[in-house]
Amino acid sequence: MHQDHPVKLVVTDDLRRSRPRVFFTLLLAIPHFVWLFLWTVLMVVVVILNWVVALATGRPAAALHRLTCSYIRYATHVNAYVDLVANPYPGFSGEEGKYPIDVRLPELTPQSRWKTFFRLFLAVPALVMASALGGGGITYTTSSSGRSRFAGASARGALAITCAVLGWFASMAQGHMPKGLRDASAYSLGYTAQVMAYLLLVTDRYPDADPTAMLDGVGRPPVHTVRLVGDADDLRFSRLTVFFRLLLTIPHFVWLVLWGIAVFVAAILNWFVTLFRGTPARSLHAFISRYVRYQLHVYAFLYLAANPFPGFDGAPGRYPLDLQLPEPARQNRWKTGFRIVLAVPALAVNGALGYGLAAAAFLTWFVALARGSAPWGLRNFSAYALRYQAQANAYLLLLTDAYPHASPLEGAESPQHEFAEAA
Amino acid sequence: MIRRASLLAAAAAVWGVAAWFLWRTTVPSSLHLPHVDEHGFFTAAQLHAAASFSRVEDILFWGTTLLQIAALAAFARWGARWARESAAGPVGTGMLLGMLGFALVWVVQLPLEVVDLWWQRRHDLSKVGYTSFLFGDWFSLAGQFVFLCLALAIVMGLARRFRSTWWIWAAPPFIGLTLLFAFVSPYLVTTHPLHSARLRAIASRLEVQEGVGHVPIEVQDIHDVTSLPNSEATGLGPSRRVIIFDTMLDGRFTTGELKVVIGHELGHLARHHIWKDVGWYALFAFPGLFLIAQVTKLRGGLREPAAVPLALLALVVLDLFALPLQNAISRHMEAEADWRALVTTRDPKDAIALFRRFVPTTLDEPNPSTWDYVMLENHPTIVQRIAMAEAYATSAAQSP
Repeated sequence: MHQDHPVKLVVTDDLRRSRPRVFFTLLLAIPHFVWLFLWTVLMVVVVILNWVVALATGRPAAALHRLTCSYIRYATHVNAYVDLVANPYPGFSGEEGKYPIDVRLPELTPQSRWKTFFRLFLAVPALVMASALGGGGITYTTSSSGRSRFAGASARGALAITCAVLGWFASMAQGHMPKGLRDASAYSLGYTAQVMAYLLLVTDRYPDADPTAMLDGVGRPPVHTVRLVGDADDLRFSRLTVFFRLLLTIPHFVWLVLWGIAVFVAAILNWFVTLFRGTPARSLHAFISRYVRYQLHVYAFLYLAANPFPGFDGAPGRYPLDLQLPEPARQNRWKTGFRIVLAVPALAVNGALGYGLAAAAFLTWFVALARGSAPWGLRNFSAYALRYQAQANAYLLLLTDAYPHASPLEGAESPQHEFAEAA
Repeated sequence: MIRRASLLAAAAAVWGVAAWFLWRTTVPSSLHLPHVDEHGFFTAAQLHAAASFSRVEDILFWGTTLLQIAALAAFARWGARWARESAAGPVGTGMLLGMLGFALVWVVQLPLEVVDLWWQRRHDLSKVGYTSFLFGDWFSLAGQFVFLCLALAIVMGLARRFRSTWWIWAAPPFIGLTLLFAFVSPYLVTTHPLHSARLRAIASRLEVQEGVGHVPIEVQDIHDVTSLPNSEATGLGPSRRVIIFDTMLDGRFTTGELKVVIGHELGHLARHHIWKDVGWYALFAFPGLFLIAQVTKLRGGLREPAAVPLALLALVVLDLFALPLQNAISRHMEAEADWRALVTTRDPKDAIALFRRFVPTTLDEPNPSTWDYVMLENHPTIVQRIAMAEAYATSAAQSP
């Protein structure tokens, strides 16, 4: 089903963060921004030369390949530093194996001339996805009033920025980066590195958005009480329902809104019950659980993470991408009392993932229409985003007091932490 | 058997009586419409332009109708296979199949609809761009999907509960929905009050004459969509109003002609035509649903999602067969509204001027073929309307 990508993200970060370094991150990064900008200007020339060489000989020039690899690694190091994905101050040379967030890039190999010739156009879908996820590293220009100008040294995506901002506050408070935010940012950096490697002719292998493959080797978080279940290998799609997907979802939108009004009232009632009793009311819990599950089914259908038309009742076990929700259990009253405030960071991450989800659905639509099946990587990314959304909804609507986990990795029964977060 | 036959006879009798009440009109039965030669009212160029425009419109109408039936026939034959793309249970799966059927019809009709738009733009009747047409069509399809899902939820839910008698139970909710829509429809369009004090004063006088109470006269800005002049009486009870397209107020029509327009629309309200519309709908809903119930028995009845594609086909074919009857009823009510306008305005000259102006502005054929008349005309023909105005003038001249 899935082949290893030649561009591998290597994560050896231990989540510890130095508070002074975190506080002054952007100021300390200024020399890197300048250097990255100059290097990027050089890379524009290098990549054009390399493109000509690759077209003529069928493979890029060895020296240019090495220079490009160093550039990609360096951009990844700098962005990992700025996004608080790693703690140490990075070097300026993009050396391999010297930074806790690193990229392993492939040796020089022959590349298809067709893919090389059309590389810029072929990279557009991956760039769309990268712009939603972030990580950055590619200089781009924008036109303002008909005049071009530099907009920045690195493209920033919603997920990377959100995780960095939230991570900044968390690191300042705790002295370490929350694993979920770190993993999400690392994933976006890894994906961006794959896009750069493809665009800059390091490899002709297309970027893979699969979060699990990207974070292979990274410790998995503990199992969350809200998790996805279903057949991961079923990628088959009906072209007709794909074509009309948005329209077919409209009745579900209407039903979601109507049901949502009732759930809003039920959630307020449940908040009082949970606050006073310490445990949600069973009937309200069941009612809201169905809604959260139904919402997942509808969005899985809309965003092309699953194929069949969903039912309108949110019943468990009826949809290929389903949600396992906890039974009513005792909840911390403080967490219940301040639930809306506490949910704000989770909602921010959810919003950021929403951009990626929309981009993934947009791209999947074309692929599924052409092939009759969804791309493995994009589908898995969508599942990750939907899982987080369900966890955030369950948290906000008092189904659980377990905070949503932003890590793209599924939880493991015995979590392998690189760093004991309680330490 | 005898009990069944008696029930059927009783139902037919009730239906007939109700239809007789709904058919009653204030147009005198003794009114004799004189023969009107269209060449006496329209130039050869006007008649030629209307004929050539209508010819293509007719072809497009029949083309889209046949394509619709062909697409739904194919969908009825093979569409049930898409049920496997659903995890929604029987009713949800029925909704999916219904929406896919409509979507297919939309796809096959789209080319001809684009041609129709091109034809109307060529004659300056439409100002809609091709892009906004396509996007607008998507929105309209989305609205259809919502309504279709609601309708299927009702009929399939009832079919699962009441088996073969579901159609009796399904008719009242649909009649209720029609009433609701008739009530809320005025609130779904953006309008503004009529600015002209003179026309407002005329409308007030006509309201008194018709005894309809105060009816707001609203204007709908539509000139950036179409140049076609139109107006309508809409709403029930507190939502009643007359809506005039701003294309009627752009100087092409005189105050006298607009007076006839307002009189016509107030005539609809005075004679409760919107209520009668709902009444006719109710009369047709029962036999229509009964026929659909019978047809869908071929696929296990409407409680089975596999019957939905066949139900769509049956609905469209029934609708096509009912079209002549629907048009006849509509023409009957429009003729009565014309008559009310003549009675209240007492101005057959302006009425004739108005009807004459419709030909160059709408490219309607003044005297279409019988086939077109039966299948497409939901208003009396221009020639018939002129004849009624002349008949009124004659009768007014003869009365003391």
